[in-house]
Amino acid sequence: MRVTAAIEGRGLRFGYGAVPVLDGLEVSVDRGQLVVLTGPNGSGKSTLIRLVVGLLSPDDGTILVLGRPASDPGVRRSIGYAPQGSPGRMVLPVSVTEVVASGLVTGWRGGRRDGDVGAALDAVGMTELGAECVFELSGGQQQRAVIARALVGDRPVLILDEPTTGIDRAFRPRLVEELRRRADAGAAVVVVSHDPDDFHDVCDRILFMEDGQVRDVGHDEFHTLEQEAGS
Amino acid sequence: MIDVLFTADFGRRALVAATVVGLVAPVVGAFLVQRRLSLVGDGIGHLALAGVAVGVLVGVSGVWGALVVALLGAVLLEALRVRGRLTGDLSLALIFYLGIAAGAVGLSLAGRFDTSVLGVLFGTLFALTWADVGVIALLGAVVLAAVLALYRPLLAVALDEETARAGGLPVDALNLVLVALTALLVVGGMRVVGLLLVAALMVVPVAAGSKVAHSFRATLGWAVGVGAASAWVGLLMAAWHGDLVPGGTIVLTAIAAFVGFAVVGRRTAVGHRPRRTA
Repeated sequence: MRVTAAIEGRGLRFGYGAVPVLDGLEVSVDRGQLVVLTGPNGSGKSTLIRLVVGLLSPDDGTILVLGRPASDPGVRRSIGYAPQGSPGRMVLPVSVTEVVASGLVTGWRGGRRDGDVGAALDAVGMTELGAECVFELSGGQQQRAVIARALVGDRPVLILDEPTTGIDRAFRPRLVEELRRRADAGAAVVVVSHDPDDFHDVCDRILFMEDGQVRDVGHDEFHTLEQEAGS
Repeated sequence: MIDVLFTADFGRRALVAATVVGLVAPVVGAFLVQRRLSLVGDGIGHLALAGVAVGVLVGVSGVWGALVVALLGAVLLEALRVRGRLTGDLSLALIFYLGIAAGAVGLSLAGRFDTSVLGVLFGTLFALTWADVGVIALLGAVVLAAVLALYRPLLAVALDEETARAGGLPVDALNLVLVALTALLVVGGMRVVGLLLVAALMVVPVAAGSKVAHSFRATLGWAVGVGAASAWVGLLMAAWHGDLVPGGTIVLTAIAAFVGFAVVGRRTAVGHRPRRTA
């Protein structure tokens, strides 16, 4: 019996105007996998991620999450998504707990389970900072709050865009360990990163994007490609 | 003179109506401010003047005309925003001018461009009937109930619309609900502080609360307190003096509160600086 992939893209084409970004891309990620998505700037990593979380629609092809179209709001509730950077445009004071709890809201009502918020804060080492105002935190701590918002609620699919950017090196192993634990518990975890070394020892696959395509590469091949790109 | 607020019927009506608007306006305003849509209330207020004119021209109450046009205008503003046509201040300025100009022309055509227009623009708090107060209380109750029921999704969208959309929230529908509630509030506050000042009661108390709070919920709590207190103090000042427009004294009180909170507060609402290390 074929097991449904957590994320499956078939023949994906997408472009901004006349500029093609994805050109018949095929990709599949299973539950239980921790996958690093990498590639040069402009290779389409963020575009692919935005297609998976339903913020963009493909020009052609299909993108399925847990066997259902990514555009289905119901399936999007199964995805924990952490964009890169700060937790939004903060004009008014907002506490870390409020930011994280917003990740539990999936519909008109939205529920809040304090235990989930506490667990997510603990996962990013911010248990003591729940009551703090987000915009009084450092950039790295704000990024951790964004990650906690994606982790809260134990979603079966996690998508994190550059989660280690701006985060101090001392905390990175703890984050990597947490994502590995989530994958081992059955989640499909996709991490966009320019620096797969953070996940070198624990990831299941490295997906390299280039010329509108994505392919599996080993760690050695990735470093060769990286050196070629830098030379 | 202050005792009229508690002994005379017109004073009690003014007190009840001002309290309702002072309490409820910041509840919607907090979401607008967080989304950098502080001027949307003003835009809807200006369009509501055209609605008053439409109501008078077609022979129904100006309030009902204002309600219909404010709701339609709110949907129009949201549609423009979604399409990226409301990113600068020019589009909003055009909406302001359209509302005021259409209101002036419409009221002129109806032969009603007289001193009563001042009441629409700045409120007629001491001339309310109990029926007026009932409409204001009903609109306030609807707005408050809707925000209480949708507090978490509205906050999630206000914090980060893109992530909320990625999480499957009905963002477009929630945005429409928010501007529709703003329209109801504008009409509810029209007779209290007037169409030109009602948006101030949505924004200024929130700005004051943001100076001393550490969370959105606390900001909301402070804002509601400032809004209600401003309504009472402003009304007391107007009643004590006898010739002051309550709409003006209420908003000036809220602005004074903002200045006071800014002095004692420790942060600015916009342009914060990190204080911790990574």
